[in-house]
Amino acid sequence: MGVLFLIAIRNLVQARRRTALLSGAIGLVTALLVLLLAMSQGIADNLVRSATTLSAGHVVVAGFYKPSPSQAIPLVTDAAKVRKVLEESTPDLDFIIARGRGWGKFVGPGGTVQSGFGGVTIADEPRFVSTLQLAMQSEYKDGGKEEILGDASRIAEPGAAILFVNQAKRLEVDVGEAITFVTETNDGRTNTIDLTVVAIARDMGMLSSWAVLGNMDSLRTVYKLNDDTTGAFWVYLKDIDRADEVMNSLRVSLAQAGFQLMDHQGDPFFFKFEEVGGEDWTGQKLDLTIWRDEVSFLVRILDVFNVVSVFVASVLLVIVAIGIINTMFNIVRERTREIGTMRAIGIHRRRVLMLFLIEATMLGLFATTVGALVGAAGALGIDAAEIPAPIEAMKMILLADTIPMAVDPVTLALVVVVLTAVTALAALWPAALAARLRPIVALGHTA
Amino acid sequence: MSGIVELTKVTKDYPLGKLSVRAIDAVSISIGKGEFTAIAGPSGSGKTTILNMIGCMDVPTTGTVSIDGTITNNLYDHALTELRLNRIGFIFQSFNLINVLDAYQNIEFPLLLQGTLSGKARKARVNEMLEKVGLTKQSGQRPNELSGGQRQRVAIARALVTNPAIVLADEPTANLDSTTGTAIVELMRDLNKNEGITFIFSTHDPKVMDRATRLVMVADGRVVE
Repeated sequence: MGVLFLIAIRNLVQARRRTALLSGAIGLVTALLVLLLAMSQGIADNLVRSATTLSAGHVVVAGFYKPSPSQAIPLVTDAAKVRKVLEESTPDLDFIIARGRGWGKFVGPGGTVQSGFGGVTIADEPRFVSTLQLAMQSEYKDGGKEEILGDASRIAEPGAAILFVNQAKRLEVDVGEAITFVTETNDGRTNTIDLTVVAIARDMGMLSSWAVLGNMDSLRTVYKLNDDTTGAFWVYLKDIDRADEVMNSLRVSLAQAGFQLMDHQGDPFFFKFEEVGGEDWTGQKLDLTIWRDEVSFLVRILDVFNVVSVFVASVLLVIVAIGIINTMFNIVRERTREIGTMRAIGIHRRRVLMLFLIEATMLGLFATTVGALVGAAGALGIDAAEIPAPIEAMKMILLADTIPMAVDPVTLALVVVVLTAVTALAALWPAALAARLRPIVALGHTA
Repeated sequence: MSGIVELTKVTKDYPLGKLSVRAIDAVSISIGKGEFTAIAGPSGSGKTTILNMIGCMDVPTTGTVSIDGTITNNLYDHALTELRLNRIGFIFQSFNLINVLDAYQNIEFPLLLQGTLSGKARKARVNEMLEKVGLTKQSGQRPNELSGGQRQRVAIARALVTNPAIVLADEPTANLDSTTGTAIVELMRDLNKNEGITFIFSTHDPKVMDRATRLVMVADGRVVE
């Protein structure tokens, strides 16, 4: 076997120009695939971060309260009892927060914004302040200072609100200024409340376009809710990957505690109003989801991005594979007499096959490793450079202002293994042809 | 007593479009162990076809070929390859060395394919062969760094390194100048005399024929004397 490796390496080195060209093509496709996957991973990381900050915990225990069969209010009543069950029954629990849920119109000096209103009880949320990245004044105000104004922890104050940059721009407000929240209450009347902007945070993509964060007590006031009512419990786990398992476990615990549960649907709560409103029941039903369900529309976008990435890489890979097949056929043709000599000396067909597969595999391994490292370095460089997304719509999909890139070593290794395997497979046909050559025919060949 | 090589009424036809061409016709040859046999004749007479039959690289259309007691007609590729690896050594007109391996590695190659000797034994055997063909100093040189005569010496060492029963040489001096060609034939003859190795070689060079202990003349695919 060792001599086959030696022959393979030396043949690759001897045909330097061809090896360099083919390696370059394979490496380029690898680097491109790594870049696409790094962007996908970057978006996915942003998705998790923004989703679990603005829309959901790892597991969400929410629900609908129906005072009459035709009404559906996104509330959890008997909140203290629900929280107790969650605290006692959640495996791998990190912490639980209660978030109020509202929807309405925010009015500022420059215009209006339709948005959700998330009620925050800061005492419940140990990571709230550190999770939000506050924006400098220059990011939302022309001629603004390169200075962060405001303080996210002031959300504890009654009437406090935190906006995101895109909202602050549209409302034309700054920290310390007032906005008004206008909404329809649960009894069908319109109510308003004046709020003070205590901080302005950097956008977190699409989700931050319709999320204003405010003091929970203010939300209770405007919707006339009692203290034992909340919008949803967001359950955070030590390991987010256990969310599905924990959700199923909590369904059992809550049912055993006497709560009515809705069937699980992998959609955010606001997709369910119409269906729940049409159902013939009254009272409270709890609805358990995981973070992915609450941002399923974004997950689908990410899935489409991934499919497009894989498609683009596959097309390139097919082109490169055809190039490899063609090149390997040429190599076999050039070395036919050498194959004949080796067959005459006594090498078996299987070893001839292996010789050419080893050569292609070594070429593939070298090219994909270099390509993957170049791609990873490029991805980390782009991420570190914080290159701004060129168009607004792109920011929505990227869930960030800059192009996010994240390199996962396991994905990197997988790319190298898969593309090396593709290179080897592409060489299989020419290698099999070489192995099938009869020695007498191969020896009589003139290149 | 039967020979180490027995060709009995061997015929070989090659297809040529819708027709077929007979390369050798009812050839019967018996070659004994330790002979230094030249198969001679003009170009296209069938010498190489006969060597290919003996070397298990081709099978006859009719007739039988027996190598060291094994009838090769019905053997599959795997068995024929094993036979070539363990019982037959090849020397080619164009040397046919593996260009990316040096002299030592070219000689070692058949031993590695056999996989029977330890590393130490293999090294000793290769060095012994290098010494026999006078190329100890050139062991690390690749074929393109060697002269034609040196390359053919490497090819001879490679053919002999596995201790084969038969060494086949197809026009071994055709690509060499007269002096080098004579030296190569002398080397083969010495190995034949001193070690009892059976050599069968094709040639149309009268000087080479003179060195053979037995001459098989071929013309138009038939043995003529």
